[in-house]
Amino acid sequence: MKYVKLLILTITLMSFGLNAYGEKIILEGSTTVLPIAQKAAEVFMKSKPKANISVRGGGSGVGIASLIDGNCDIANSSRPIRPSELDKAIARGKDIKAHVIAMDGIAVIVHPSNKIKGLTKKQIKDIYTGKISNWSQLGGDNQKIVVVSRDSASGTFEAFGELALDKEKVRPDAIMQASNQAVVSVVAKTSGAIGYVGLGYIEPSVKALEINGVMPSKETVLTEKYPIARPLFMYTNGAPQGLVKEFIDFIKSVQGQRLVDEDGFVPLK
Amino acid sequence: MKFIRIILIGFVWFMFVNFISYAGEVDILLQKLVEKGILTPGEAQEIKTETQEQIKKEIAQGKYSNLPQWLQNISLKGDLRTRYQFRHEKADNNYSKDTHIGRVRMRLGLDTKVNEQIKAGIGIATNSGGDPRSTNISFGDKNSGHSSKMEIRLDYAYAKYSALSWLDIVGGKMLLSDVVWEPVDLIWDTDITPEGAVFALNKKLGSHLDGFMNNAVLFGTADTSTNADPIMLYMVQPGLKYKFNDAISLKSGFSFYSWQNVKNKAYPTDSWYKSSNTKSGTSWVYDYTLITPALELSINEPFKAIGLNVEKLKLFGEYVNNVHISDNNTGFGLGFQLGSDKINKFGDWQCKYIYAMLGKDAILDVTPDSDRYHGKTGMRSHEGIFSFGLGKNTSLGVDVYRSWSIIDTRKAPETVIQVDWNLKF
Repeated sequence: MKYVKLLILTITLMSFGLNAYGEKIILEGSTTVLPIAQKAAEVFMKSKPKANISVRGGGSGVGIASLIDGNCDIANSSRPIRPSELDKAIARGKDIKAHVIAMDGIAVIVHPSNKIKGLTKKQIKDIYTGKISNWSQLGGDNQKIVVVSRDSASGTFEAFGELALDKEKVRPDAIMQASNQAVVSVVAKTSGAIGYVGLGYIEPSVKALEINGVMPSKETVLTEKYPIARPLFMYTNGAPQGLVKEFIDFIKSVQGQRLVDEDGFVPLK
Repeated sequence: MKFIRIILIGFVWFMFVNFISYAGEVDILLQKLVEKGILTPGEAQEIKTETQEQIKKEIAQGKYSNLPQWLQNISLKGDLRTRYQFRHEKADNNYSKDTHIGRVRMRLGLDTKVNEQIKAGIGIATNSGGDPRSTNISFGDKNSGHSSKMEIRLDYAYAKYSALSWLDIVGGKMLLSDVVWEPVDLIWDTDITPEGAVFALNKKLGSHLDGFMNNAVLFGTADTSTNADPIMLYMVQPGLKYKFNDAISLKSGFSFYSWQNVKNKAYPTDSWYKSSNTKSGTSWVYDYTLITPALELSINEPFKAIGLNVEKLKLFGEYVNNVHISDNNTGFGLGFQLGSDKINKFGDWQCKYIYAMLGKDAILDVTPDSDRYHGKTGMRSHEGIFSFGLGKNTSLGVDVYRSWSIIDTRKAPETVIQVDWNLKF
């Protein structure tokens, strides 16, 4: 009998402990969307001091699962919801609604002295997976290609892997960098280097390449002519209401889209 | 302008819904509207993508509404395994026994959703005489033989009630994974489907931290022919999973088991219990109160830095102490797993090693892995497993055990080699 009591006590304590939260909005999911969401939450809460917005990472899958389970109000995602996730949501009576909040374009950059003006997606994949190792194989100088990549914890790494490498693994000798700025810095100093960065990080010290004949720009990303681009989402359960609606409206507003731009992503407005 | 935009969204939506095959033409329409300056490229992208997502949802919902509810909610799964098994047993210098057998295992499970909060699962499996720790049947049964027909029994039948987003209540004859988390099969044979009720709490405690707590009340026996109290097992297992980053995570659990009414209870007479080390005469000698901490460290792509492409490394361990007594009362299992996380396709591979030791009275010997020294306690054992994907959902596995007694002065070593062909469906 004492064990039954222990069990009941445990569950009761957990119930109190886990539900001792006030009312607030919880955003969870993509690490790519995380900086946009954090900055937007910060600015939004300044204009609305009573609002309590908590932003967590964890990855797109985690955010969507959390939304389906009712553990967050907004799921941040750097990919569209998967059919299996949609099935799960429908089975649980959830009405998932998508909100596009920005576009993410990834520019491939080389040292300004590099003769190469553009590459195909396949050539990029071959470089990053180790099939091509010298610029001469692409019509450039006889020079070893120094491959620079973001580290595997970054959303840009994940996006590049999906959009440019068909999820194949980056060659093991690639130089991994912790930030877009670090990638720019290494490529700018290394004549045989190739790297990739968010669109907002292109600087005169590096040269952005055409991909499949298209230069990366806000316009080519928005019109989907540039191939290494994707929409970024916030998903809600049903049409947003109350504070959730106010926050989604804010991030889609001109002011919110300015924050998107500042973070190196492509704003919709 | 906002009004025009609303009308356009409605129009595009109408086009998508009614003329999905003309989706390409909708793209052109949006493009024209951008060219004429009515929409910005960003607005067009927003309308297009959000509409596509809405359509995807409508199609998924349509799929559900076009089928009868009971059919939509049912999912079937199963597996078939054929096995060659060699066993070498050596009791002393003058006696040894070598056996070669063929075995088959078939399991078929059905899950269905009763309503939004309740799920039910039913599974059947091959079995021999009700053995709780094995779903194998040996070819050429020694009693009937000559390709006699085999036995199928109810493997599990349970209902799961998701009372809250963080609380599941499970009742019935359940899957072991719904009852307890165990990184190594030291205490529980994975074929066991416990009977009783479980309150499973799962909660995200932070962006990197998840908590869980399994609380179980399980029946050991329930003999209604006498006044005797039934053998019961009460278990509480709190645990945490911490994700350091995308590559490394650590899961831990601390279980407390209390077996009640075991001491002096008559030992079961079924054939699979006869080789027990925890009985004396015809009865059990002790009660069992166990504490078992367990840990599992998972590392994705552990050798990436040196250019080796290995998907996952797991290091795990579990310790058990029967605090009810002071001799021969501890045990532990340690091991690692390297390679693919799951064997799903050709070329996937995984190797695993486990070292296990169980003192004679560390646990009640009705639960440990039946392949490891016949499921007895008072032993130590090395186990090595190698699995290789032969194609989609089919794999080959080789499992080798080398075990010894730690209570018999002759040690009575035993070697078991199992070669499995696995099919999942």
